Amino acid sequence: MRRRLAVPAMALAGLLVLSACSDKATDSGGGGGEGGGGGEAAELATDFGVTDDLITLGVLTDNSGPFKDLGLGVVQGHELWIEETNADGGVCERDIAIEVRDHGYKADTATIQYPELEPNILGFMQLLGSPINAALDQNLIDDEVTSVALSWSSFILDNPYVVIPGTTYDIEMINGLSYLLEEGLIADGDTIGHIYIQGEYGENGLLGSQYFAEQHGITLEAVQVTSTDTDMRNIVTGFAGQGVTAIALTTSPGQTGSAAAVNAQLGLNVPLVGNNPTFAPQILNADSAAALENMFLVASSVPYSSDVEQAQAVAEAYEAAGYAELPNAGVTYGYAIGEIWGQIMERACENGDMTRAGIQEALRQSENITTGELVADLDFSNVGTPATNQVYVATPNIDLPGGVEQISELFVSEVAETYVAGCQE
Amino acid sequence: MSDARQELARAAPVDEAAVSPESPQATVGDDPPPQTPLDTRPPRGRGDIVRWVAWVALAVVLLALPLYLTTPWLRVGEYVMIGAVAAIGLTLLTGQTGQLSLGTPFFMLVGGTSYVVLAGQPSEISDEEFLGFGLPPMLALVLAVVVAAIFGLAFAPVAGRVKGIYLAIATLSLVYLGLYLGQSLPYITGGTASGRNPEDLTMFGFSFTSNDPEISLLGVPLRDTERLWWLFLVLTAIAYVLAQGAIRGRPGRSWRAVRDNEFSAAVMGVRVAWVRAGVFAISSAYAGLAGVMTVLWFGLLKADETEFAGTWSIVVAIGFLAMIIIGGLGSVPGAVVGAMLVNGLPLVIQLLIPQSSVLRELTGGDNGFTPIVLTAFVYGLAIIAVVLFEPGGLAALGRRFTNALNSRTKPTKGN
Repeated sequence: MRRRLAVPAMALAGLLVLSACSDKATDSGGGGGEGGGGGEAAELATDFGVTDDLITLGVLTDNSGPFKDLGLGVVQGHELWIEETNADGGVCERDIAIEVRDHGYKADTATIQYPELEPNILGFMQLLGSPINAALDQNLIDDEVTSVALSWSSFILDNPYVVIPGTTYDIEMINGLSYLLEEGLIADGDTIGHIYIQGEYGENGLLGSQYFAEQHGITLEAVQVTSTDTDMRNIVTGFAGQGVTAIALTTSPGQTGSAAAVNAQLGLNVPLVGNNPTFAPQILNADSAAALENMFLVASSVPYSSDVEQAQAVAEAYEAAGYAELPNAGVTYGYAIGEIWGQIMERACENGDMTRAGIQEALRQSENITTGELVADLDFSNVGTPATNQVYVATPNIDLPGGVEQISELFVSEVAETYVAGCQE
Repeated sequence: MSDARQELARAAPVDEAAVSPESPQATVGDDPPPQTPLDTRPPRGRGDIVRWVAWVALAVVLLALPLYLTTPWLRVGEYVMIGAVAAIGLTLLTGQTGQLSLGTPFFMLVGGTSYVVLAGQPSEISDEEFLGFGLPPMLALVLAVVVAAIFGLAFAPVAGRVKGIYLAIATLSLVYLGLYLGQSLPYITGGTASGRNPEDLTMFGFSFTSNDPEISLLGVPLRDTERLWWLFLVLTAIAYVLAQGAIRGRPGRSWRAVRDNEFSAAVMGVRVAWVRAGVFAISSAYAGLAGVMTVLWFGLLKADETEFAGTWSIVVAIGFLAMIIIGGLGSVPGAVVGAMLVNGLPLVIQLLIPQSSVLRELTGGDNGFTPIVLTAFVYGLAIIAVVLFEPGGLAALGRRFTNALNSRTKPTKGN
């Protein structure tokens, strides 16, 4: 009897003794130090991820899952920007560093990595993947972590801490269809097919084509596919029967390849217009090049091979850095994201507030962020509104690095101007 | 005399494993699960006290962990507990009754969705456009488990008649059903886009899933992660104890009878179809609870975008099978250890090997050889090693270990 009581009693005593040396006991919500700005007269307020000589940003990316190519490219773009920026003296007299984690497109992994990174970073330079963004949505609000999402769905704009560096899928689609209209490839009253993938990405693209169809009296034949469907033959054959004059795509690159191939085989040969993730250089080879010739890609960032001066500079830096991978548009985009973060941080620095709240404030003051035309000029002052409506149009070209040739300047269509995207009031 | 009997009973599982080829189970490619001895009264004497002390010590350590571990580590532990609950349910079905199921993620989805819907605010009150009944969250949790069990029971016409690996194929369809329903009923499941957030799990004004009210213990602020740990610990303990009790009692005997030979089971008066349907429902209830835990852990209910990647996908179903195979089919502690390996190990490796350092040096740059890839290898090797060297799983290893301990200590003490 006595022994029985002794065991739990001793255990409890042990627990009390042990807990006296718990590390967590002293931890009371981050090191809210007011770092003096490197000998400057003005005091700089800081909280997370900013020390006297270093600013740390987080990156949650995919280096091993379905978006491996994109994820690697974008991170390499970040690295190029950081190297260049640090060589020029950094931002706010501090060097920039990134902490990279690969979540393999798995939300459970990302929710472990987030609390590990969060106390040590100012914000996220990249959060890749819609499941990951959805799982961390509330955390970003709770911790006030301003984050660049590598997803272009206007649905996620309801979170003020999520930054989409560019336009959204719906606006891309409206602009892309408008481009076809202006080029005389489609006309009012036509029938247009739209293949879209189930989920956030596809549904957001569909919003765009629906709006465009309404405005131009176009009959829209929308067909939903799942991400694992690979053969678009039945669908494109169906479109041929319905007499479509163009096919819109909000699909994976593999599905784009299939749709393009069938389009050519059937002799349908209608123009294809796709959102920015519909293409990857991997689907472009000697056999498919002809079928992909009348494909139009719409994105608010330039392709890797673009003639834009800044894009050329990034390409040069990429070659000089000697990465093993083939470059893709992600490299340029990753660099552009660096530029965006850099300008937000500069503004926060001028405001004397490099806390997370200060970054959010600086973001909302940023009405005109320029990236040397890598991405259209961005206006982040309106919560819930895409930062730009402008896009580039490009077309696959097998002879160019990155596999895509830019064929238009930045533009925005009249229809897109009237469209209300995202969570605008 | 009683010592000798226990010795026999303890030794039994190992002997069983040796004669396994006759068992119908062998076709599934694994050994029959450990047998629970007929005499299930806990042994008395010194071993009893040692066991007691061990359990109390374990409980104390587990209860105290939130005071020491940081948030990422606690979340890993919580994820392990989610896996443990579902794996315990599956090991009752697969290990004890010999029915193979891949439907666990579907019943998790049912449980998670039920909780969110039952506890969710009705759309008239909140401005969200989701279905909600506004029940007290604790009640919703219990009802969600019941709903999952009812869904499992509804599958009885199949679960009661179809055997072994054929049931696996039949239940595979459930994963696809879950995928389809999840995507096509966003009003209920939140859809694939942003999903919907579960209601805070509160009881008497105390929230387990937020920081309200703010409290601290021994100087450690108890936030949502710490609270969820204790909640999960209680739920897992309940799941564990109930499963052990069932295995040792009458239900467990009928399960094993059905597994080993359904004809002799029927001769002895076991209603085979009933037993199969019943254990399927119980297993579904376990999965339902794991589903509620998943939703609380993520703070989000979101339908999957594909059947191959996601929270309720085929990969998850196979993960649960891996847990119970690694742990030893039919063993409840084995299921828990299996959950540690399958759910815990990949995340632990993540936390131990920061990406930017070691691996990058070893493999020379950004070639995608990240901790995620490494964990896939480790996890695959663990399964291969278990199947090759200890088909009874870690549970058999554990039994062998305790047997060795007993045979070394018992004679000197007993005589």
